[in-house]
Amino acid sequence: MDLTKYRALFLEEATEHLAEMSHSLLVLEKDPEAGEAIETLFRMAHSIKSMAASLDYTSITELSHRLEDRMEGVRSAGRVDGSEDLPLLFRGLETLERMVAGVRDNGEPPPGDAELLAALEGADGGAPKKVHP
Amino acid sequence: MKARTLVADDASFMREMIKEIVEPEGFEVIAEAGDGQDAVEMFKEHSPDIVTMDIVMPKKSGIEAVKNIIALDPGAKIVMCSALGQEALVMEALKAGAKDFIVKPFKPDAVVTTLRKALDKQD
Repeated sequence: MDLTKYRALFLEEATEHLAEMSHSLLVLEKDPEAGEAIETLFRMAHSIKSMAASLDYTSITELSHRLEDRMEGVRSAGRVDGSEDLPLLFRGLETLERMVAGVRDNGEPPPGDAELLAALEGADGGAPKKVHP
Repeated sequence: MKARTLVADDASFMREMIKEIVEPEGFEVIAEAGDGQDAVEMFKEHSPDIVTMDIVMPKKSGIEAVKNIIALDPGAKIVMCSALGQEALVMEALKAGAKDFIVKPFKPDAVVTTLRKALDKQD
């Protein structure tokens, strides 16, 4: 496998996905029930996870996986929680951006942030949340 | 004769990877789709021998696309591309008529073996 080719493809697609995630989070800040933004965030995290796993970028795989799981819960609830989810999702996005920049600048991502991963997983182990009344 | 293959995945990274794995092994990727809706259209247009179908895609999910394709051609050979944690979705796709599944990150040998088995499967 030509790793240089796939790394370039990863950087191109991940950068686009991160921009879409950022836009979606800004939409959700104004409208916590914006279905398309919820769906986009879930899909982009999933896609970054699959690409990163293929290249053995463990820290990116783990973080995008947790973001995907968190978004799965948000999807089930039908809305993002402005005080709980949003700050964590913004933090997750910023960390992912730094990790992708690490791949661009150094050829590999920096190590993961265990505290952020635990916070994203939450006390319920990342299980889908109940729908708020 | 090479098996005419449609690859459906919203990430060109993944499409490229599948192409690189299968093309030296007797498959020819004749069309690529970036979403589920496009996958159904491409299937209608090209009638491929086999389809690799991602589950999470925009516009129409891979599962909806499988349902549409099986409605058009009950004998269609579709292999789902899944990730860890998507077991329930894979089961749903198999119930909808997909023949088998491969798991990301792809192991080249497993991808080729699964696609060949799916091609040989009777309806």
